[in-house]
Amino acid sequence: MKKAGRIFETGLEKIFLICALISITSVVLMSIFIFRQGLPLFAHVSVADFLFSTDWNPSRTENPGYGILSFIVGALYVTFLSLLIAVPIGIATGIFLSEMAGKRVGGFLRATVELLAGIPSVIYGLFGIALVVPLIRRLGGNGYSVLSASIILAIMTLPTIINMTEVSVRMVPQELREGSWALGATKWQTIAGVLLPAAKSGIITGVVLGMGRALGETMAVLLVGGNAPIMPTGPLSMVRTLTMNIITDMAYAEGVHLTSLFTTAVVLFIFILALNLFIQLVLKNAVKEQQE
Amino acid sequence: MKKTLSIIAAILMGSALLFASGGKDKTATSSSKLSGTYTFGGSTTVQPIANSAIEQFVKANPDVKITYEGLGSGTGLKQLAQGTVTLAGSSRELKQSELDADLVPVVIARDAITVVVNKDISVANLSKDQLAGIYAGTITSWKEVGGSDEAIVVVNRDETSGTYGTFKELVLDPKKLEYTKNAIVAKENGEVAAKVASTPGSIGYVGLAFVEEVVKAGGKALSIDGVEASVATTLDGSYGLSRNLYMATKGAAVEGSVEKAFMDYILSARGAVIVKEAGYIPLK
Repeated sequence: MKKAGRIFETGLEKIFLICALISITSVVLMSIFIFRQGLPLFAHVSVADFLFSTDWNPSRTENPGYGILSFIVGALYVTFLSLLIAVPIGIATGIFLSEMAGKRVGGFLRATVELLAGIPSVIYGLFGIALVVPLIRRLGGNGYSVLSASIILAIMTLPTIINMTEVSVRMVPQELREGSWALGATKWQTIAGVLLPAAKSGIITGVVLGMGRALGETMAVLLVGGNAPIMPTGPLSMVRTLTMNIITDMAYAEGVHLTSLFTTAVVLFIFILALNLFIQLVLKNAVKEQQE
Repeated sequence: MKKTLSIIAAILMGSALLFASGGKDKTATSSSKLSGTYTFGGSTTVQPIANSAIEQFVKANPDVKITYEGLGSGTGLKQLAQGTVTLAGSSRELKQSELDADLVPVVIARDAITVVVNKDISVANLSKDQLAGIYAGTITSWKEVGGSDEAIVVVNRDETSGTYGTFKELVLDPKKLEYTKNAIVAKENGEVAAKVASTPGSIGYVGLAFVEEVVKAGGKALSIDGVEASVATTLDGSYGLSRNLYMATKGAAVEGSVEKAFMDYILSARGAVIVKEAGYIPLK
């Protein structure tokens, strides 16, 4: 009986190990696949022409253009503008939920935020077309713009930022709060001077995760961004991001054109990878700080 | 016992049906047995028609294997002249040099593009030149084409779409113009319909089959050079944004050959359904 138990234990362990390996293998396979499909582009186009040219015209018969600079700039523009909107709101909501909201209000708010996280992105896109785009149109341009995309993305990244802020502020030890109050600090002083610095790493992680979501979002921005292959000149200008560029032509593209879409995916992949490394670094530093 | 009997009966009945339908297919495909492996190729515009037609044709003629390669009209016709392919699809008229090389085109369908605008636009007609100006980005206000003082919002298609290519060929290429980049890019005919219907001042183009969708969504169709887009004006050739789709063979297709049977199939009533499904206009 004891022996059977041990066999069961080791068997279970192996099964869990295999499960872990499956996710690792899929990450590795995906990276290999994307790079293998994308890198051959540089036999036809130089790296500089690809990354630093704004001339995107793969179907031109003579001398087609494969420059994705406009889309890199577009993706970063949209991402940072959306964070500019989402971070203050998200952090404020997170602090409110953790420090001020009563049980009923807090519970209701939390449920709403969770609902927000579960809505499919295409719904956000349709909402954008119906409501945000006409609103932005009043400011100028045709409404399909950097700003419209940023607003939609801001709403989509809010749940991540709110949750991470709430959890990490809540995790700040009660003694720190009490110490601050004992020194005569007001609630605001406690939040700004004690809670936020102590919860810093968690909040930053939330922001970077939100950034990853914004950078990788496709469907919602496709519906409200306008998708014109131009360099965005301002918040009311139309925009095409890296993901939009991949999805727009993927269905029928052939040859070098198809390869260039995979290369676009490589660029996106590297961006996301860099973001993740950044998170790891932040977390590691935070752990070190706490140990000291 | 009773149960097994009924099962056997069911199996027998099923197989009888199967054989019966098999037999029917054989008689339908004509008495001469077609067989062999064939390579067709050419226009990517014709490809959707060719591919679904091949699928059906091969089902009816199990001994025949056909592939259609999307090479583009020019390359397809060149390879037809060289004998690499035995049937070529073309979305343009054959040049004199190609006709001289004994290539014989047959019209298999027609293709038409309709220009649609938002309902707030008072303009009802555009000339082909004005249309070219709008899509090249040299005309940017409706005022320049007889409308109110409102900026034109151009809605274009993604570069890989056949409609994008056709529109360019029919409107921009004759004037040696390129598309403006300052245009909303929509991925599907349906998305064009939605964006044109919801964006004031916008103009877009869709396959003739999608006009209804635009009108239903609140947009309207324009006439070009005074001619309204319809199946009738497309078939008689008076509508400017329409063209023939061809299949060509080297020398007139011989009666009893796979090529002839294949083209006849596309021109048949069943073929017309395929043509319609691919978004084009059957000749009958």
